[in-house]
Amino acid sequence: MIHVSTEKLIRRFKNKEAVLFLIFILLFALMSLISPGRFLTWRNLQSMAYQLPEFGIFAIAMMVVIVSGGINLSITFTAALASIVGGLVLSTLSAAGTPSAIVIIAGIATFLVVALACGALNGLVVASIGVTPMLATLGTMTLFEGVCLNITKGGAISGFPDAFLWFGGGTVLGVPFPLIVFILVVIATHYIMERSAFGLKAYMTGCNPTVTAYSGVNVKKILYGIYLFSGLLCALAGILMSSRYNSAKESYGSSYLMQGISAAVLGGTDIAGGYGKVAGTVIAVMILQVISTGLNIFGVNRYITNVIMGGILILVLALNLIGRGEKAIA
Amino acid sequence: MKLKLKQNREFGILAILIVVSTVIGLNSSAFFTVENLFDILKSNVVLGMLAIGMLLVILTGGIDVSVGSMIAAVTVVVGQFLVHVTGNVVLAILVGTAAGTFLGVINGILIAKMRIPPIVVTLGTMSIIIGLTLYITNGTWITGVPDNFINFGRLTIGSFYRQGDDMIGLPVQFLFLVFTAILTWFMLKFTLFGRGIYAIGGSRASAQRVGYNLDRITIFLYAYEGFIIGLAGVVHTSIMRQVDPNAFSGFEMQVIAAVVLGGASTLGGYGSVFGTILGVALFTVINNGLILMHIPTFWQKIVVGIVLITSIGFDVVQKRYWENHTTKVDIEEA
Repeated sequence: MIHVSTEKLIRRFKNKEAVLFLIFILLFALMSLISPGRFLTWRNLQSMAYQLPEFGIFAIAMMVVIVSGGINLSITFTAALASIVGGLVLSTLSAAGTPSAIVIIAGIATFLVVALACGALNGLVVASIGVTPMLATLGTMTLFEGVCLNITKGGAISGFPDAFLWFGGGTVLGVPFPLIVFILVVIATHYIMERSAFGLKAYMTGCNPTVTAYSGVNVKKILYGIYLFSGLLCALAGILMSSRYNSAKESYGSSYLMQGISAAVLGGTDIAGGYGKVAGTVIAVMILQVISTGLNIFGVNRYITNVIMGGILILVLALNLIGRGEKAIA
Repeated sequence: MKLKLKQNREFGILAILIVVSTVIGLNSSAFFTVENLFDILKSNVVLGMLAIGMLLVILTGGIDVSVGSMIAAVTVVVGQFLVHVTGNVVLAILVGTAAGTFLGVINGILIAKMRIPPIVVTLGTMSIIIGLTLYITNGTWITGVPDNFINFGRLTIGSFYRQGDDMIGLPVQFLFLVFTAILTWFMLKFTLFGRGIYAIGGSRASAQRVGYNLDRITIFLYAYEGFIIGLAGVVHTSIMRQVDPNAFSGFEMQVIAAVVLGGASTLGGYGSVFGTILGVALFTVINNGLILMHIPTFWQKIVVGIVLITSIGFDVVQKRYWENHTTKVDIEEA
């Protein structure tokens, strides 16, 4: 029975990714046709290339957790907390006149350490204590937001050294640096999740943690790994985001939570865990980015953009249901 | 034994509530004044009502993160109705509950028919509802609520205490909380619908096999939750006398925290209205205590987060302890 369902899944998802890519091409063409002078311009494409990586990294951070059978509601505040503490280190050291190389290294290290600590806390609550991931991360999300607010007192952290701004706005051989980071993240995640023993165990955990544990896999270790990896990705997103905004604030990126879930689900990730592909998520991210940029160009109110994004999430879930047929009864 | 455990748990919350209140009372003389207590009561009626609605969702093992956006939408509808149509209190309640029930039914149908974790569905509907609400109002406040509605909001039941020239009485809004609590308690205890909610939370498969219509119960549950949210929206408007569409952003976390603090199991199947009321009281007292002890408001979110994590963690650890305990006995008997 397992054999049959996997085969069916693979067939369905092969089609699904092709369909997704087709949707992306069609949407892109549609937007270009409707407003060629504004959508299909070098400037707009470039601005999309700077926005897409943050969103994409958040979506992948969400996807890996969903694959393991959980959900990480704390991604945006993990990134925010890392940005705020890291930003504080950056601005303090920079104001003290430390050489910029040391400032950058110390700052980036802080980003990573803080986000990994957040990931470790999630891992602790989910894997060691055994709380449902949804509730655990709901709690840590509120906690991180509280810590952020307590540090910033509701304001923003700014005063970063100029060299730091390169991470969000610089180019390497004409390619935006954030895009390079994103591509590296995609390749790395692909190898970790789909080509390594760790990844296979994570998918197994998402399918059925009990059976996985009985197969001799240390489920706890896998879950810790997943939440740490998710935290690490949040740190990268946080670096790009705070560099692009040239400041750090608790509310930056908060809309990426829902969009991240949407992208993962739209990309074919099973919300119940056990299935999901990096490629699908990336295509879904591109689709959502084209939609939101397009809506922005057409001058659609940003609240309505929220409505449409929420609608897409619900619609995709509903379509998945139709694809799933009547076999879903528990 | 289950009954005993239940009593213990609620007794435990009550004991914590008394200890926390005493500590705050010793640190701040303003806490144990009738004025402050009535103030706490009035400003947390809405939290209490929403918590009772959320309790039902949590009992089935779900989570509804759209409550903040739903009550924001309801208050906007009620506010517009009051300003542009009539200040009639009864009609306002009808309009508010109708709006809330409508939104709840949408949630219910989506959750029941799609069989997808309620949190994901409500995350989507949250973004739709709050997006539409903010688009329509453009984020601006609605003011100019008619006098007779404002006067209704100022009503008190009796007057217990003389503070200068003002008589202080039990705020009328409290009645709505009592009404919600009793109605929900009755439904949970004595109706097939209420027993079905507990059954679903215990085990969906078993509930279905016993013959409960899961879809119908789920839809009715979210509709009823929407009804409570609608009522709470009217109550909120009567307290604030104006409508701020942004007033409830992030409010769902407080509601969830209060319910969880009240001993409801987030794994579903366990929790009571009485416990939830105690949870709301405890949560409120902690927040009020933080203010009275001059602790910056930024700490409140941290406290909510820590309270959430520890109480959920405790819940899980306790459940595991009981399970281990039971298994051991089985092995010995065999």
